[in-house]
Amino acid sequence: MSLALKELRRRPSRFVVATVVLSFLATLLLFLGGLLDGLYLGSTGAIRAQQADVIVFSESARDSFLRSRITGEQRATVEAAEGVDEVGGLGFVLLGAEVPGESEPADVAIAGYEVAPKGVPEEPPAPGEGIADDRLRDQGVSEGDTILVGPAKSPVTIVGFVNDTSYLQQGTVWVDLDTWRSVQNANRPDAAVADDVVQVLVVRGTGDLATSIDTATAGATSTLTVDETVLALPGVKQQKATFNQIIYSTLVVVLAVVGLFFSLLTLERLGLYGVLKAIGASTGRLFRGVVLQAVIVAIVSFAVGALLALAAAAALPAGVPLQLTPARFVSTFIGLLVAAVLGSAVSLRKVLKVDPASAIGTAS
Amino acid sequence: MFLALKEMQRAKLRFGLLAGAVGLLVFLILFQQALLTGLINQFIGALKNQSADVLVYNDQARKNLEGSIILPDQLAAVAEVEGVAVAAPLGESTFTVTAKGEETDAVLFGYELGGPGEPTTLIEGRLPEGPGEGVASEKDRADGFGIGDVVQVQPDGVSITVVGLARDINYSVAPTLFVDFATFEDAKRARNPDATEILPSVVAVQVEPGADAEVVAARITAEVDGVEGLTRQQAVDGSPGVSSVRSSFGIILALFYLVVPLVTGLFFLIVTFQKASALTLLRAIGARSSKLVGALLVQVVLVMLLGSVLAFGLYAGAVQGVKNLGVSVEVMPAVVTSLVVLVLALLTSLVAIRRVLKLDPLSATTGAGVHV
Repeated sequence: MSLALKELRRRPSRFVVATVVLSFLATLLLFLGGLLDGLYLGSTGAIRAQQADVIVFSESARDSFLRSRITGEQRATVEAAEGVDEVGGLGFVLLGAEVPGESEPADVAIAGYEVAPKGVPEEPPAPGEGIADDRLRDQGVSEGDTILVGPAKSPVTIVGFVNDTSYLQQGTVWVDLDTWRSVQNANRPDAAVADDVVQVLVVRGTGDLATSIDTATAGATSTLTVDETVLALPGVKQQKATFNQIIYSTLVVVLAVVGLFFSLLTLERLGLYGVLKAIGASTGRLFRGVVLQAVIVAIVSFAVGALLALAAAAALPAGVPLQLTPARFVSTFIGLLVAAVLGSAVSLRKVLKVDPASAIGTAS
Repeated sequence: MFLALKEMQRAKLRFGLLAGAVGLLVFLILFQQALLTGLINQFIGALKNQSADVLVYNDQARKNLEGSIILPDQLAAVAEVEGVAVAAPLGESTFTVTAKGEETDAVLFGYELGGPGEPTTLIEGRLPEGPGEGVASEKDRADGFGIGDVVQVQPDGVSITVVGLARDINYSVAPTLFVDFATFEDAKRARNPDATEILPSVVAVQVEPGADAEVVAARITAEVDGVEGLTRQQAVDGSPGVSSVRSSFGIILALFYLVVPLVTGLFFLIVTFQKASALTLLRAIGARSSKLVGALLVQVVLVMLLGSVLAFGLYAGAVQGVKNLGVSVEVMPAVVTSLVVLVLALLTSLVAIRRVLKLDPLSATTGAGVHV
């Protein structure tokens, strides 16, 4: 054990290049993961924040908020369905908004609600007032501002902020249903809704809600759990699959790189290992040394890589949806460690085969 | 030369691991490059491959087609601007449609037949000549968007017969149809009977012969209230997500390109160190250093070649998995990438070559023979 550590301390140059390569790979892993998280969190915040059991879409909407329409009549049917306790309407409209004192318009999603999502007051704000997502602070919005939404310049006064509720990379402004309707109808006359119409219903209740609701409406609705709704958002599922594929492939590269370097190092030390074995060191002990070195190299690389990734994140323009979450750091760290240990295991065979008797013969 | 090959044969695990690592890295580069081009084409192909020189957005829309609407008097005002030959409405929206008996998402672009905004990459069939006809993307041919297929907008809306196919005209990664503006209006009304008025998303402008699109676009922005004129290329580059996707993938790719030569460079440096005594001996018995360097270079090229072949196999396989992005296996970019990576690897192997050149044949006579 202490031999492995001593080597690291006395001959760090041996490990420098491997550490540099692994650091780059760690940065890559964090960067890829951060992009995935940024895209995911920024797209789905408004849905993940819903404190509901299921979300009811109209049947022909193919689980798209913008295309879904639930009429007052359908709502009454849903309210009467078995197991339903509480029903609230919800609607989104994506628009640009003028922010006082800013030359660039901000991207906003005006969301009308009845059943409050996490962090938003139970009682919707007064008409014409809204609770903004923190993301809008970056675009110059502050409390008390009146933003002018859309081409019709509908005024909405910001009376508070909430964290992590953005929708499709746009900062959500939570308003009451009537304000949402008036903003939507003024700015998107082609998507106008009547007074009792909402896009979807958020429902709290017990039992098999999806089945009981869709049965009650005779198939006019399509009911999803909140998790299913998140995955049904455009692009979310594909992004996850593609990025994860790239991340796993990169981990395999880490494994190959670690395997390569440590098998080379081991090769160099075979003679030495013969001597050590001859004086009584066990294979296990020698191999533990190799694994220990791989783990330390991985830890150092992770630290360097994390710093590089943080620096890159700080240097990037705000438009890049990169979010480095603690969970991503932890999972990347674990991934690196596992790949390092597995990679160093490639040398196990070599260490096993070292014959202590070789120490007596030639020096090499 | 023989020595170089023999060494690789005897140390299969070592060289195999290296070729494997290189292969995976090159694969990741190829795959992400394809993904980047595919994604961008799928997101904004429809904008890139339509005939309007200038697209006029609502200035609140932040260059987002989905967020833009044009009021009737804005459309009229754009037509009056100097340098504008034709100004026609262009509408874009996503619908639920039934194609091949199944419900799916589809984007409709409604343009004035014969006017600006028509697809320019037609490869089969013809452009629509009346209501109820449309041009679809060649990529979605098999999914119920082939010539002669009928697509119906839900719920119970207009039916559109596909009469032509064009390349790379998708928008937002969904199947896309270019139809007559009146058909687009009908589709919108079917989806939302409460709609008070169907407005175009943008104005498609054809500039007068000899006029510069960029100048006309700037003039429209300056002269018409509440709109932003963009040339076709500006509209493509400014589309939401395009620049951020480009810059994030740019960084990722740069890192991958860095890692490949680092891995190979280090590998050959270590191997050279290990062989130092043997190489010194070879020099002492008369092998010229150019021969030793040659052997090293042969190994670098072979490893990179093996890695590239492996990468190409993986790439061809992985591309099947993202077919819905319209990514196809292209040989040329793959060859270029392999060459770039090979050159980078040869550059970093210079460190190992320097080491070989510094070997002193004399030291073979002094016993140990290695100065590290």
